[in-house]
Amino acid sequence: MATGVLEPRGVVVAAAATVVKDERRRSRPNGEAVAALLAAMLGMLTLALVNQLTAMSAGVNAWVHSIGKLWMPGAQGIGPYSGKETLALVAWIVGWAVLHPALRRREMSLSRWLIVFLLGVGIATTFIWPPVFEHVAGYFAGH
Amino acid sequence: MSVVQAPQETQEASTRSLIAVVALMIGSAMAFTLATAPFARLLGAGAGAIPSAFHGMVAFLYLFIGTIGLYLGWRLLTGRISAFADLQLLAVVMATFSFLAIVFGNWLYIAYRAAHPDSPRSYFMANAPDVHKVFFEFKEFGALFTLPLTVCAAFLLWRYGAQVMQEKWLRYTVAILIGLSFFYLVAAFGLGAAVTKLKPA
Repeated sequence: MATGVLEPRGVVVAAAATVVKDERRRSRPNGEAVAALLAAMLGMLTLALVNQLTAMSAGVNAWVHSIGKLWMPGAQGIGPYSGKETLALVAWIVGWAVLHPALRRREMSLSRWLIVFLLGVGIATTFIWPPVFEHVAGYFAGH
Repeated sequence: MSVVQAPQETQEASTRSLIAVVALMIGSAMAFTLATAPFARLLGAGAGAIPSAFHGMVAFLYLFIGTIGLYLGWRLLTGRISAFADLQLLAVVMATFSFLAIVFGNWLYIAYRAAHPDSPRSYFMANAPDVHKVFFEFKEFGALFTLPLTVCAAFLLWRYGAQVMQEKWLRYTVAILIGLSFFYLVAAFGLGAAVTKLKPA
């Protein structure tokens, strides 16, 4: 800018810093979005996995129930479902707490990670469908 | 046939007016219902009557709000949204109602799976096991998916603000999250209504 020649250098540097700050304010890196997506996916996959494992093992089922009884009111009546909810919630929140600071300054391919997210949700949905997880549990019980 | 001329400039309704309209509609529907329906009989005498009423009411309101959110999500997906602030608000409300529906659902589940032979679960296992083993079990897990999906959508809408409208893949992501949460909401609501019809708690 022509004014940079006539104005003291400090003013030009301050003006440039303001432009950079404005650009940052206008465009936040999408790493935080990817972190939120992956954390949600992790929670859903954990729910599906824990449900699958409880269907395969009475011991795991009892352990999962004990997790729910640690904190949830009425967990005795709710049953192992309380523990499944707890483990899924912990996986989601902890995953987000880890991924958010790790990815917040990164600019990532959101389209690619959205596809990963959708695949993860699809897998989780498949494994909460009872004919599927019962079949898998039955397969491992017979072998 | 004459073409209706669109107004040159229309002003978006304020968020306050949206809240007022929704509150008025819900309030009048509830007042009419309470004034005319045999509420005590509708509630029922079962152990799960109170949690069932709360869970059903929250789920119904969530469905109502989720439908508006779905429409605004569609507008966002196609890049034609003008009520962005309303979508931001609705995303938070959807996440809140998802949470409340899950909490009241947990409470109701105690009566649903109670050990006595008259509980809904015992009844279904004795008479129609697939109702519990397939439909209810899918509902109870699918409903939980609505919470991370709606929280994620609300987070993106508030954290990124107007940037969501400017960046194509952020727009798509938020719209897909809202659409997915609506799918699990409808599945859980429909299956829950069916189960309640077959055997109230």
